[in-house]
Amino acid sequence: MIEELEIILETTSKILQKHVNHSLRQNIVSENTDILNLWKDIEKNGLPKISVKEKFGGYEIPFFSILPLIKIVNNHGTPLPLSETILSNYILSESDINPPNGIVTFASDTKNLQIKNNMISGEILSVPYLNLTKNLLIVHELNNVKKAILINEINGEIIHEKNFLAEPRYNIKVEDLNIAEIRPIKNNIDFNFLGAILRSAQMIGAMEKILDLSINYCSERKQFGRALSKFQAIQHQISEMAVELSASSAALSTITELGLVEKNSNDAAILKIRAGFAAGKIIAISHQVHGAIGFTKEYELSYFTKNLNSWRNDFGNESFWEEFLGKRFLEKNNKNLWEYLT
Amino acid sequence: MSKFNFPFIKETNELSNLRKEVRDFITTCINNNEFTPSPDAWVFSADPSFSKKLGSKGWLGMSFPKEYGGHQRTALERYVVTEELLSSGAPVAAHWIADRQSGSQILRYGNEKQKSSIIPRISAGECFFAIGMSEPDSGSDLASVKTKATKTKDGWKLEGRKIWSTGAHLAHYMIVLARTSPASEKNRHEGLSQFLVDLSLPNVKITGIPDMTGQRHFNETLFDNVELSDDSLLGEEGKGWKQVVGELALERSGPERFLSHFTLLDSFINEFRISLIHSGTKIVGKLISEIQTLRRMSFSVASMLQNGESPETQAAFVKELGNKFEKMMIETLREFSNIVPLHEWPNQLQNLFEDATLRIPSNSLRGGTTEIMKGIIARQLGLR
Repeated sequence: MIEELEIILETTSKILQKHVNHSLRQNIVSENTDILNLWKDIEKNGLPKISVKEKFGGYEIPFFSILPLIKIVNNHGTPLPLSETILSNYILSESDINPPNGIVTFASDTKNLQIKNNMISGEILSVPYLNLTKNLLIVHELNNVKKAILINEINGEIIHEKNFLAEPRYNIKVEDLNIAEIRPIKNNIDFNFLGAILRSAQMIGAMEKILDLSINYCSERKQFGRALSKFQAIQHQISEMAVELSASSAALSTITELGLVEKNSNDAAILKIRAGFAAGKIIAISHQVHGAIGFTKEYELSYFTKNLNSWRNDFGNESFWEEFLGKRFLEKNNKNLWEYLT
Repeated sequence: MSKFNFPFIKETNELSNLRKEVRDFITTCINNNEFTPSPDAWVFSADPSFSKKLGSKGWLGMSFPKEYGGHQRTALERYVVTEELLSSGAPVAAHWIADRQSGSQILRYGNEKQKSSIIPRISAGECFFAIGMSEPDSGSDLASVKTKATKTKDGWKLEGRKIWSTGAHLAHYMIVLARTSPASEKNRHEGLSQFLVDLSLPNVKITGIPDMTGQRHFNETLFDNVELSDDSLLGEEGKGWKQVVGELALERSGPERFLSHFTLLDSFINEFRISLIHSGTKIVGKLISEIQTLRRMSFSVASMLQNGESPETQAAFVKELGNKFEKMMIETLREFSNIVPLHEWPNQLQNLFEDATLRIPSNSLRGGTTEIMKGIIARQLGLR
C-alpha cells in the first residue's frame, strides 16, 4: 500500500503542476473550464475516493495514511475542495453511504437544524466551495446519535458569502430540502476530530509553500546592495518559521503513522493547537519578510496566508483544543502530569 | 523541508517497562529521602553517590559496548531513562556530561587505551566530565578559541583558559578544544583538535564562578603549560571542528532542553488542580501540547543518533523549541498568580518558581545560544 500511495502522490503532484497557477485561483467559478479540466483529471485518477471502500469504487487507503496527499494538494494551492471531498467521501463510505461522483463539500457548523420527513431546514454554516457543487455532507446529532446526512441538490438562500480570493465560503439557509441519504456514523469516527486533522494537514502543506516562497523571495530580492537573505535579522525570522513548521509536521506524522488510537485521541488536539499556533507565526513573518509585494493580489503569498486564516479557525481554534486537553487531564484524571503524559 | 523530518517512533512495551522500572526506583529513593527533587538538576544538583547507584543499575553508559563496561542498549532506552530522571528532578549533574556526550565522543574518536581506561568508569558512574569549549574571548564564536596545544618531544603542551565549565570542580576529565595549527585564511575551522585532559594534572587550575543565583557550577579552568601525554589527543589532529560539531548534536537534542523545570510544573498542578479546573484549563492544555510535541521530536532525534546519523540541525530545532517552551511555561505560571497571589503559594512552590525565574535566562545560552541555533537552521535552509 505504501508503494501504491507513493505512486498516487507522484501522479497528483504532476497533475497539479500542470493545472494549478495563480490565475486559476483568481477565478474559482463553475464556468471556468480550467477548473473543470483540473477536476476531471483529479477524478480520473480516483483521488476523491482514495479513502472510500472498494465496494463503493474507492482505493480504501486509510484516511490517516493519505494525509501526505492532503499536504501536497494544499502545498500546490489547489483552488478546489479536493481535501473536503476526500474527507466527506470517507465519512459517507464509513457510514455505508455510496459517495456521489463529483465534488462533495461539508458544513463545519450548523444552526437551528430541523429534520422532518426526510427533509432538512436550518442554517448551514461556513461551507467551502458551495459554488462548485450541489453535494453536501452534514454531520448532525439526532436523538443522541451522530448521523451523516448527504444532500445532493443543495439549494437555499445565501445569507453570507466570503470570497476574498482564497477559498470561497458560504452560509446558507435551507427550507424543507430533500435529504438523499441519512445514516448513523460509525462509532469510530468523530467528525470534529477528523476535520481538525484535515485542516491541520492542509495548513502544513500551505506553510511549507509559504516557507519556500519566503526563502526564494529573500534570496532574490536585493536591498542595501545585498540579498535580503544575507541579513541576519531576516535569516532568524525565516528560521523561526522553519522551527514552527517542523513542530507541526512532527505532530502530524504522529497521526499519519499511528492513526488515532481512540477516535478522540489527544494527538488530534495537539496537532490542531500546534499547527494553528504555527500558522499565526508564519502568516506574520512571511508577510513581514515579503514587504509590500506580499500584500498584493497579484503575488501568490496571500492566497496561502488567507487560507491559513480560515483553516486555523475551523473545527476549533487553538483555545478550543487547549481547553479540551486541559479539561480532560484536570477533570478526568487523578494521575500526576508526568504519568499522564507518558 | 523534507530534510527536517522527525520520523515518528513508537514507544514499545519494552521501553515502557524500562520506564516503569526507573520510575519505581526513583520513587523509592525519594521515599527514603535520598534526594529532594530540584529544578535544573542536570546542571545544579550533583550527587556522586547517586550517580554510582545509577551506574550499578545499568542506567549509565547504556548504549556503550559491553566490552567497555557498557550495556549495549539503544539510544531510545537511554532516552527513556533520562526522561524519567529529569522529570523527577533527580541529582544527575555529576555524571550528566560524561554520560550524554563525552563517553560517546571517546568511543567514536578515542584510541584503545582511552576507551578501555575511561568508558567502564563512566558506565559505573565513577568518572565525570566537563565541557572544554568556551573561553573568555570565545563564546558563540567557537572557532576563535585561543587555547593552544603544541607538539613536544613526549606529547603536547596545553596552554589557555576555558570558561563556564560546568562541574569542572567535580569532574575528572575535560575534552578540550584547542588550536594545534593556525587557521587557514580560507577556513577558520581547520587546525583545531580535541584533547582528553586529566584535570588532576599539575598546572591545571580550576576556579569557581558563582552564577547569578549565587550557586557554584561554573568554573574557569586554566591550563598553564600543562604537559599532556602523546595519547591525550582525541581523534585526529586538525579534525577538531568536525568532532565538536558532532558532540554538540548530542548535547542539544535531549529532553533536558524542555524538562529542566518540569518538577515546578508538576508541583504547581498538584497544588492548584482545583483552581486550574475553574480558570486554567486552557493554559494546562497549551503546556501539554507543547511538551508532547517536544518529546515526540526529541525521541525522534534519539532514534537518528541510534541509526548513526548526525542530526545537528534537528538538534537545533529541539533546543530552540525547548528553550522557548520553558520560558513560556514560567510566564504562564506567573500569569496564574493573578488568580492565586504568589505570596499565598506554599513556600516550597514559591521557591521553585522564583528559582526557575532566576535561572531561565541561561537556558537559551548554554549549549549554544538562540542566535546560533537560528544560524544553523538558516544555513540548512540555504540562506547563508
